[in-house]
Amino acid sequence: MKITGYGLLTAAGSTAAELAGASAARADMSALHDDLPRPDACAIPGFDIRAELGRKGTSAFDRATGLAIVACGRALADAGVQVEAPERVGLVLGTTEGSLRSTMEYSRETLVQDRPYLVNPVLFPNTVMNCAAGQAAIWFGLKGVNATIAGGPLAFLQSLRYAGNALDRGYADTILVGAVEEFTAHRAWTAELAHGGPVGEAAAVFVVEKDPQDRTPIAEVPAVAAGFGQGQGALVSCLRRALARAGARPEEIDLMATGDLPGERAESDAVTAVVGRDLPQAGPGDRFGHCGAAGGALALAGVLGRLGDGELAVITGRAADGAVAAAVVKGRGDARADRR
Amino acid sequence: MRRVVVTGLGPVSSIGIGVAAFLSALRAGRSGISPIAGFDASGFPHRHAGEVRDFRPEEIVRRIRPGEWGHSAQLAACAARLAAQDAGLEPGGAWADEAGAVIGTTSGESQVVESLVDQQMAGGLAGMSVASIRQLPAERLSYAVAEELGLAGEALTLATACSASNYAIGYAYDCVASGEADVMVAGGADSVCRWAHAGFYRLGALTEKECQPFDATRSGILTAEGGAALVLEEAGHAAARGARVYAEVLGYGVNCDAGHMVSPNEENIAACMRIAHRKAGIKPGDVDYISAHGTGTRANDLVEARAIRAVFGAVTPPTSSIKSMLGHTMGAASGFGAIATTLAIAEGFLPPTINWSTADPDMPWIDPVAGTSRPAEVRVAQNNGFAFGGNNAITVFGAVE
Repeated sequence: MKITGYGLLTAAGSTAAELAGASAARADMSALHDDLPRPDACAIPGFDIRAELGRKGTSAFDRATGLAIVACGRALADAGVQVEAPERVGLVLGTTEGSLRSTMEYSRETLVQDRPYLVNPVLFPNTVMNCAAGQAAIWFGLKGVNATIAGGPLAFLQSLRYAGNALDRGYADTILVGAVEEFTAHRAWTAELAHGGPVGEAAAVFVVEKDPQDRTPIAEVPAVAAGFGQGQGALVSCLRRALARAGARPEEIDLMATGDLPGERAESDAVTAVVGRDLPQAGPGDRFGHCGAAGGALALAGVLGRLGDGELAVITGRAADGAVAAAVVKGRGDARADRR
Repeated sequence: MRRVVVTGLGPVSSIGIGVAAFLSALRAGRSGISPIAGFDASGFPHRHAGEVRDFRPEEIVRRIRPGEWGHSAQLAACAARLAAQDAGLEPGGAWADEAGAVIGTTSGESQVVESLVDQQMAGGLAGMSVASIRQLPAERLSYAVAEELGLAGEALTLATACSASNYAIGYAYDCVASGEADVMVAGGADSVCRWAHAGFYRLGALTEKECQPFDATRSGILTAEGGAALVLEEAGHAAARGARVYAEVLGYGVNCDAGHMVSPNEENIAACMRIAHRKAGIKPGDVDYISAHGTGTRANDLVEARAIRAVFGAVTPPTSSIKSMLGHTMGAASGFGAIATTLAIAEGFLPPTINWSTADPDMPWIDPVAGTSRPAEVRVAQNNGFAFGGNNAITVFGAVE
């Protein structure tokens, strides 16, 4: 599949070039919540749903939904896609558990209200993980395949693979594929308690097409592979499958973007084992905080920001329970240019 | 394209755990509804749900430790273990090297979320337990299946709400049909929780004790839970090992309403049926049975019935809803529908809609197979799944020669 545009919302900027060059991007978010584990986070301090999308139809949106819709809009505009055949345009969105805040607050209402059922029916869909994808479909009128992939750190690569299959099998001609994680006190605390680091917020959506007619691709994704297993072997064999499917030889790979955090080498060791040498790293590391599902999408954005015409990169991901995924990305034209 | 068949079924439901118990309950038209035990429902006017009362995961799983996984992951792993057993596939065998797991869900580990809320009530967000946070991610539903069966292929969790199992079966079907894998385990899992019970009640979509799909007096869903898994296998792979084949997966259709988050849409549901028929290479006249989404709400059943008439014309196939027995198992619902559809084809009967007594004058063309099951030859059947977010997904199954 080919990438013909993207929309990015991150603490470090909204273009691949900005992301590729960014160092740690922290902002003081204490104005938004008063019960944070630390005042700063890798979040988007100025993000305001109403400022971005207006007041009409947005009152029930949680932050994740707002971010997803804005990123989808930017991606459509960047690729120059007009939704003329709505049933042929799909959306595949990665998440960890939807909006944890929306869900926990809804559940909490059943305990703190006079009666457990005195919850707000309008907010009920926000507790369901496909809320952002469903609302984005409504906002832009996207009637093709609409999938939400719960994959945490792997969600974006899994979504990319799902989208590739949907294109190959003719379920859509154009798919918006991305991932979103919102900044909330709930996520700030789960990141702090489980990972001991600042939470990240990002939304990244890419336009992918099997055979774009009137658009010039900025990159290609010749293969995405996935697997499961404990130890390094699972990712090594997953990478080999991805390269074989892409028809790429190990020595042709120029760049990697792994999910390793500083001090970790599990994924980059697997890449080295497969390609036979150390590659420059374009992965997000901890520069953007714990971005959960959006991490893989930031890795792709980082790759787009550095990949020259015809160059090849691998993007990898690994989940704590043993799931792995790997994508091969090929630069086309000048993906690095800041096209805005 | 390679042909894909169903060789194993694993229901973990309120009407039976394992295919034999589930089949006999389906034939008899047994209800799995009972007073809620999973959470304190005393403050709710409606206090019944479809809970899996005899669920003892430690007696079913062999490889995962149930205590390390949330309730929904346990349901998924148990369903998958039973499905693999039913298919005669030994977990961790050579077949598992490229086999994958695709599990659908609406609310993932909803009971873990509610534990976190309890912890928040006691000690603020800072008081959330790390063990609960680790069990929270919904991705773990498919990982529990992969771990339990020793699968080394792709593990994927689809969160397309109440059609998620059909999304999962469709994707797994593609993986086998395209040659990515010879075997995939697909299905869905969800757990009952307080917040969903409250939400459906406030939407005016929750009935009291009996779910009555397509009945004139129907008044809503009953929340429910369960795990449903099917083993999908390349036909030649199944034949080579002498596997028993229930039915063939003919294809699936997906689309999105892109109109309203909660209300179903007749035109788009009809369009989804047409996509499913086209992809499956069948015509409406080929369909002998429809396993309806049939939630029992006024809106869903009417919209679904009208969409069926729009696609099938004046004479529509028998259309029943097993939610009358199970309640609405959310992300597992279309997985149970797929199991029931597969059994209908293999065993030659139509699963019933129970609690049905009064025809709805707005949908006289619907034959709901009222009360108890009916013997019938089922060559081709479709399994409907619709969802919040407008995520429609329909799977089509056929008899094997």
